[in-house]
Amino acid sequence: MQNEVILRVEKITKKFGNLIAVNNVSLMVNRREIVGLIGPNGAGKTTLFNVISGLISPEEGKVIFKGKDITGIVPHIICKMGMSRTFQVSRAFASMTVEDAIRVGAYNRHSNRDIPQVVNEVVDFCDLEGLRKRKCSDLGLAALRRVELARALATEPDLLLLDEAGAGLNPTELSNLMNILEAINRKKEITLFVVEHVMQMVMGLCQRIFVLDAGELIATGKPEEISQNPRVIEAYLGKRAVR
Amino acid sequence: MKKGNVSLLFILIIFVLALPLLFRSNQYGMILLTTILLYGVLATAWNIIGGMAGQLDLAAGAYLGLGAFTTGTLLLRYNLTPWIGIFLGGAVSVAFAILVGLPLFRFKIKEVWYALSSSALVEVLRITFIMWEKVGGPVERYLPDYGSALYMRFSSYLPFYYIMVFLLLASLLVNFWISRSKLGYYLIALGDDEDASEVLGVNVRSSKLKALVIYAFIVGLTGGVYACIYGFIHPNFFSSTMSTEVAILGIVGGMGITYGPLIGAVLLVSMRELLRANLGGQLESLYLVIYSVVLILIVLFRPRGITTLLQEAWAKIFSRWTRKNHAE
Repeated sequence: MQNEVILRVEKITKKFGNLIAVNNVSLMVNRREIVGLIGPNGAGKTTLFNVISGLISPEEGKVIFKGKDITGIVPHIICKMGMSRTFQVSRAFASMTVEDAIRVGAYNRHSNRDIPQVVNEVVDFCDLEGLRKRKCSDLGLAALRRVELARALATEPDLLLLDEAGAGLNPTELSNLMNILEAINRKKEITLFVVEHVMQMVMGLCQRIFVLDAGELIATGKPEEISQNPRVIEAYLGKRAVR
Repeated sequence: MKKGNVSLLFILIIFVLALPLLFRSNQYGMILLTTILLYGVLATAWNIIGGMAGQLDLAAGAYLGLGAFTTGTLLLRYNLTPWIGIFLGGAVSVAFAILVGLPLFRFKIKEVWYALSSSALVEVLRITFIMWEKVGGPVERYLPDYGSALYMRFSSYLPFYYIMVFLLLASLLVNFWISRSKLGYYLIALGDDEDASEVLGVNVRSSKLKALVIYAFIVGLTGGVYACIYGFIHPNFFSSTMSTEVAILGIVGGMGITYGPLIGAVLLVSMRELLRANLGGQLESLYLVIYSVVLILIVLFRPRGITTLLQEAWAKIFSRWTRKNHAE
């Protein structure tokens, strides 16, 4: 049970014209894990996330979620199956209030009758009580990130993909976010798969890390192994840094 | 706040029901009021697809014309009373909406491309019905049974006015009901960001199609009544101008606000008609120039609609009023 695989990515290749954005990548994520996906800009992290969440379909390979092949299935059905995500560039519902945005997520598993209760709980969990009546278009970046997290949480997923949730946050905001993420993982037993640039967050949060460079998976391992890995250092800092 | 709104609504309904008393023998006044309400119904229906779902639909004339032609043709050919015909007209509009909506939403046609495609539909239908001599053709087809209430062919505009009041209340209720339902939240979400909605479990395609179908039904139904008011059917009922105007009323009135498009219709259509009545005689299209200038000014200074202006004013009056009451 402890090592049950929730997500298995098998030999995914995604091309945009002549550019190979993701090249033959395979990886797997266990239930209740927090895993990270890192890599330099343009490594294909977001593309891989888009493939997994069903927003784009790959040229080759399969995505297996909870033992079912979900390659080519539309995102709203994947969401019903228990996977949701957030976006790198915040994509809040500008014309909605915070609680209405969360409500959209809550409709995934609930009907009008028990929606207020679900929304209240998520608002509480993500520390949004003071902002719930505010319009999303009036919020700052840190709050928007929490709203995006909250509405994804309201869909009651088993696996949550977070695309650079920490980007642009100051140290206080970052540690708040990390606390919430840890709570999501522990209390709600939700598996987290995070793409992240902020090393402090990846190293502090993740149990395992995948490293992507130029579309290829170049390393997998525990945070301390990854930070010592010559290929990773090379990808980030160039060849001379390895010596 | 809530108590004030309810009493305001009550006063408004009584006012609307009693309004014809002012125009008892004035048929021009009555057709004016009926036209204003007609645009109110169309703009309120448009709010579902345009205001909530954010799809710039410019095909109101297509559904209106289909409703009118279905109702009119059934009356002319099979002597079927429009009281039933208008519902079949709504059904034909719905069938057409599904036929058009499925591929449009399947291939993710949105924004300007959706606006252009929907606008083209109106023109395609107009030309088709001009060519289709059996049903349409270039000459007006007059509806029989003038003066018979059984065939919705009243000899005065008064009954049509009340039919429009009824349609308006119905479409306001539908709007209100949608805005508090799952569909309403889904429509506003997908109007803001389709991909972000998809990953939260929103079936973007089917939600849009539902919105389009409801809108098409109300407009088709109204189209049947429209044919009876004017007493004939003609392919020019498939009007791009009217379609665009419906969207303009919705936008200027206040997108996504249940009664916004209605307020837009009441203010703008009455202004346009009054300008035309008073200026039309002297300088033929001067009224359109003034009308356009007013539209530009509203969009410039109140991009979220004139209704927001009224809302603010009302909130101010109401808070002053309650403060006074508290003081005493």
